[in-house]
Amino acid sequence: MSTAQSLHQSRKRKNAVMMALCVIAAGIGLAWLALILGALLYKGLSGVNLAVFTEMTPPPGDAGGLLNAIYGSIVMTVIGIIVGTPIGVLAGTYMAEYGRFSRLTTVVRFINDILLSAPSIIIGLFVYELMVRPMGHFSAIAGAVALSILVIPVVVRTTEDMLNLVPNALREAGTAIGAPRWVVIRSVAYRAALSGIVTGILLAIARISGETAPLLFTALNNQFWSSNLNAPMASLPVTIFQFALSPYEEWQQLAWTGALIITLTVLGLSIFARSLTGRREDR
Amino acid sequence: MKPMLSTDLNVAETTVEKAKIEVKNLNFYYGQSKALKDINLSLPERSVTAFIGPSGCGKSTLLRVLNRIYELYPKQSAEGQVLLDGKNILDRSQDLNLLRTKIGMVFQKPTPFPMSIYENIAFGVRLYEKISKAEMDSRVEQALKRAALWSEVKDKLNASGLSLSGGQQQRLCIARTVAVKPEVILLDEPASALDPLSTAKIEELIDELQADYTIVIVTHNMQQAARVSRQTAFMYLGELVEFDRTEKIFTSPREKRTQDYITGRFG
Repeated sequence: MSTAQSLHQSRKRKNAVMMALCVIAAGIGLAWLALILGALLYKGLSGVNLAVFTEMTPPPGDAGGLLNAIYGSIVMTVIGIIVGTPIGVLAGTYMAEYGRFSRLTTVVRFINDILLSAPSIIIGLFVYELMVRPMGHFSAIAGAVALSILVIPVVVRTTEDMLNLVPNALREAGTAIGAPRWVVIRSVAYRAALSGIVTGILLAIARISGETAPLLFTALNNQFWSSNLNAPMASLPVTIFQFALSPYEEWQQLAWTGALIITLTVLGLSIFARSLTGRREDR
Repeated sequence: MKPMLSTDLNVAETTVEKAKIEVKNLNFYYGQSKALKDINLSLPERSVTAFIGPSGCGKSTLLRVLNRIYELYPKQSAEGQVLLDGKNILDRSQDLNLLRTKIGMVFQKPTPFPMSIYENIAFGVRLYEKISKAEMDSRVEQALKRAALWSEVKDKLNASGLSLSGGQQQRLCIARTVAVKPEVILLDEPASALDPLSTAKIEELIDELQADYTIVIVTHNMQQAARVSRQTAFMYLGELVEFDRTEKIFTSPREKRTQDYITGRFG
């Protein structure tokens, strides 16, 4: 065998080994996901019925549903997004448009990255000190604030990244036609980056809809129906936490069902976000 | 300072026509580095002037001074004078947005806005004029006709500007620029990303547009400069080497460096 051939053979062998390792690693990652989804579907699906969406969380040993928890999750997530999104989008806009070359942007980006990876329980504690202690009680609004603090860094990051992807030539073109800066941002840059920014917001929703730790310290939980923002409010993650740890079978079943609902919601949002991004890439 | 001398001579030669833009003692800096060195030239009204020269010679930089688009970036600065109808546009008091409605610009890569063909054109018009839907319709039509694009897009004005071919996109950008009724149009290598057929269309268009507009075109294609322009400025290393009537530059240039460049000996 010539040297060239043997070199070729050994490269082929190395390639085969590397590929096998990569496939195994990918398989392990996927297997866990499949197992989790499988377990959730198997255990959760059997508990899905009309009562889950129409009845309140039951006392131990009774049948019931998750209505108050679902409602609470939706309310606090929506408020969290409504409060966090404008702040995040505007901050991202500053960083990518007005302050692209400023020192402040570098500092803000650094701090934002820290906030992005900060454990959510710390955010919960922070809001506990900031709102719950002065007010003297747990409340839905404190929970919503904690969630909005989690939303901000995600939205800041994606907004900045997406605006940075808009070619400068497009901004120059807008400017060259006589459009003031803010018109260029609003009508040209935002439009070009829209699907990416919306994707960031959807990802933020996906992130906060499963958060438990910050809600434990702020909104706590409520076994009954409550639409009072100034009082403790139930939420799916906290209810799952409480029910899954309990010794009661009905509660455990509801925890599985709740987990399934959250997972499917997040999955749906992610797929929707993906489809938005995909459409942008097609263009 | 030989180049300056020859330029001065040329100014005298070309001032038979009214100067639309006069550049006087212009220096330009990217941070510390000097990109334009003491540029003096005068661009006659309703005629095409080409800037040629090797990459990095400052021709695009000079073009970008004329509408002050360089101000989008920090650390870029110009000193000297650029007179538009006798008024210095480098003056601090100059309103930049108004300046850019008078001096339009088309870029190397087509840059349609992410909106419909109709909106691409209406966008700029709407910024400074309040006109009725009917007036806007006719304005859009006129601009598209002007850019020789109307027949190709009249049935799909609501389609995205991004759905057009590269050559069509570039003509859309020209239409968009023409629609706001500028006095000067700056073209930064407008055909360098296009195929020969689209290039020919753009050149034809430039030829027609010079009846109404003062046009400045940057190009690294010397044949293009020879075909479309009436005056040509040859730049090298940030200096204006020679500025003269186009046929003079291409047949009997005064400067050896110009001669070397147009005969392909360097650049």
